[in-house]
Amino acid sequence: MLKRWILDFAYYLDTSKSYQRRKHFFYNLLENDKYRYKKYVDVFMIILIFISVGVLIREVKFHVNDYLMFFSNYIISFIFFVEYILRLWVSSSVSRIIVARAEHDTFLHKDVNLYKAFEEVFRVKLSYMLTPKAIIDFFAILPFFHELRLLRIFILFRVFKLFRYAKSFQTLASVLATKKFEFLTLGIFASVVIFVSSVLIYVMEGNNPNSPINTLFGAIYWSIVTISTVGYGDIIPVSHEGRFVAILVITAGIAVLAFTTSLFVSAFTEKLDEIKEAKTIEDVTKLKKFYLICGYEEVAKEVARKLHSSKNDIIVLDDNLERVITAKKDGYIALNYDPGKVESYTKLNIDMDKQVKAILCLREDDIENVYAALTIRSFNKDVFILSLLMNDLNRKKLDFAGINNVVYPQELVGLITKELVGKPVAFEVIHELRSENADVQIDELGITQRIVDTFTTVGELNNQDFRVVLLGVYKHSRDRFFFNPLDDMLLEVGDYLLVIGYQVFIKEFEKYLHTKVKND
Amino acid sequence: MTKKTALIFGLNKYAYEIVGNVKDKYEHVKIFTLNEDEVEKHIDEIEIDSFDLSDDWIDIHKNVDVSNSMAFCVLENTAENIFLTISLRANFKDLTIIAIASNKESANKLKMAGANKVIPLVETTSDIIANMLEKPISSKVLHSILYKESALKIAQIKISKESHFKDEQLTSIDWTRYNGIIVLSVMHDDMKSEFIYSTKAKHHVIREGDILVVVGYEADITEFEKKIGSRRYVNWSHWSW
Repeated sequence: MLKRWILDFAYYLDTSKSYQRRKHFFYNLLENDKYRYKKYVDVFMIILIFISVGVLIREVKFHVNDYLMFFSNYIISFIFFVEYILRLWVSSSVSRIIVARAEHDTFLHKDVNLYKAFEEVFRVKLSYMLTPKAIIDFFAILPFFHELRLLRIFILFRVFKLFRYAKSFQTLASVLATKKFEFLTLGIFASVVIFVSSVLIYVMEGNNPNSPINTLFGAIYWSIVTISTVGYGDIIPVSHEGRFVAILVITAGIAVLAFTTSLFVSAFTEKLDEIKEAKTIEDVTKLKKFYLICGYEEVAKEVARKLHSSKNDIIVLDDNLERVITAKKDGYIALNYDPGKVESYTKLNIDMDKQVKAILCLREDDIENVYAALTIRSFNKDVFILSLLMNDLNRKKLDFAGINNVVYPQELVGLITKELVGKPVAFEVIHELRSENADVQIDELGITQRIVDTFTTVGELNNQDFRVVLLGVYKHSRDRFFFNPLDDMLLEVGDYLLVIGYQVFIKEFEKYLHTKVKND
Repeated sequence: MTKKTALIFGLNKYAYEIVGNVKDKYEHVKIFTLNEDEVEKHIDEIEIDSFDLSDDWIDIHKNVDVSNSMAFCVLENTAENIFLTISLRANFKDLTIIAIASNKESANKLKMAGANKVIPLVETTSDIIANMLEKPISSKVLHSILYKESALKIAQIKISKESHFKDEQLTSIDWTRYNGIIVLSVMHDDMKSEFIYSTKAKHHVIREGDILVVVGYEADITEFEKKIGSRRYVNWSHWSW
């Protein structure tokens, strides 16, 4: 009966959307660095840690306010306790383990062995509890029992909790972990030297009444201080034999120090690119909206510059290291990833639909652009892709690859020359309007509810007062552009005004549209 | 006055595009290639001739009314294209030369070499791409006004002796009387086009020879021409960049 009840409950939890949603929420809040609200929890916990440590320091020589003591000993400990329990909860799924065991046993036509399931649960939870971070979290709760004087020292473990929130510590740990074997060798060597020299110095100096080294602990202390090349000088050997041992330890100390330093340097050098890449990806993940440029050649450089000058974030992917370096020099986030590999986008860890404004395949090579576009389309059907076309014969292939918009420079030359031949002045006027450096520009002003509340028709806009020409209105509802509309045309939310004028006057006009309040 | 002859230097994808777009606008179109083997080829029944960069251009001197021609320098090799441009300019002072440049640097050199108009490929392409992304509606509208066979047109209208506007101040004219068209700019003696709302244009008194750049539907532009007593006009002498 109890077994049936446990199994039903496990199945219920495993399939309950609201339970899973809540668990996922806490997981994001505590463990997911990419979750936008996690940083607030982190900051809150860091503040609690500092308050705790501040109280501990103050308490050494002064009286601490009773309320503050209560807050530090009980409230903070309680918050840390809740955090510990939540972390333990989200670290693994008990219900899933039980369900998996039930499925397994049922499949094999056996009775469901709940004992094994609980054993597995215990093993998984214990393995989490024995991780360094969980141990620190656990000790950080202990000051709750502050009446036990010994346990108060565990407040210091709260400082170690900072490791959890400071990424640089984690980076340092991951870098040093790559040299585990070397550090182990070094550790064994240093331990042997310390042990041998401690015994030797103790034997040589232990019975000498003038020597300060008269215990084995003192000998070990002296060896460590000497081998580390710190040499406080508070304990020194006085006999010739003792000094001879000192010479050996100092020589070994130089080797240990040199080895340690070179290990640190080589570990960081080897991991530097990886660390930088991880930092870049972290920066990309934080961006709200950006253009993703695949390939950084001549056209891409100019496009990136223009888009960047209109305050857009740019991410460049290129499989050529030199071009990536150029992109970085030009001030963009650039990664040496192949745009033709799904893995590149997986590593980037971005939400294509939410973060990417458009993907621009700007390699001056149709094959590369088609390949990149197909790669993107293989995992995302909706993101807007624009591509350069270098040979008109390949146009169909680009369309087939799912590219939304194609720009063919050779065609542009033909169209431009045609227009230049017929209307050179008019062409220059339009060309100027499109140029980023021109004073007079064409701009699109979106119609919002606030604008519609104040200006119901085109005639009420008074654009002439701002020396702005209203070229027309793009009606979103009808997906149609109305050139030079009549004064009585109604404005609707979602429409766009196409205006021409000096940039400064357009800005003023836009401000006027947004700030003018209807006088009833 | 429109040009009668188009001389295209270079036989490549740019030349094909130019021929496709301008062949109907010229009485004669001639292509010159550096590769003698290509002389036998024919594109849309257009004559292809060979040339070399050390040419003294005797054929062109003899057979082409240079002052009434337009040259398109579209060689893919930048150095050769610059050399060709300087060579044409040295020989034909009145020839209107349009050249393509791969980037800004070569565009400057082509201008120095005497090209009237340079199309910088990278900048033009990137302008189009950036506008498509950042101002998609205006980009679509301008593209259709300029390049597509849309009903909406852009035209330049020269103020003639009989024009109603002659001697009137630009700002004193009630443009709303001319429904359907929008006057964007005016170009006058100093050969620079001024935006209709610029300070300079504000005090400008319209004189004979000024050119108005207007946008509107074909019928409205024709109506406007009739009303003000002026005609659409292209004069390459105004065009010297």
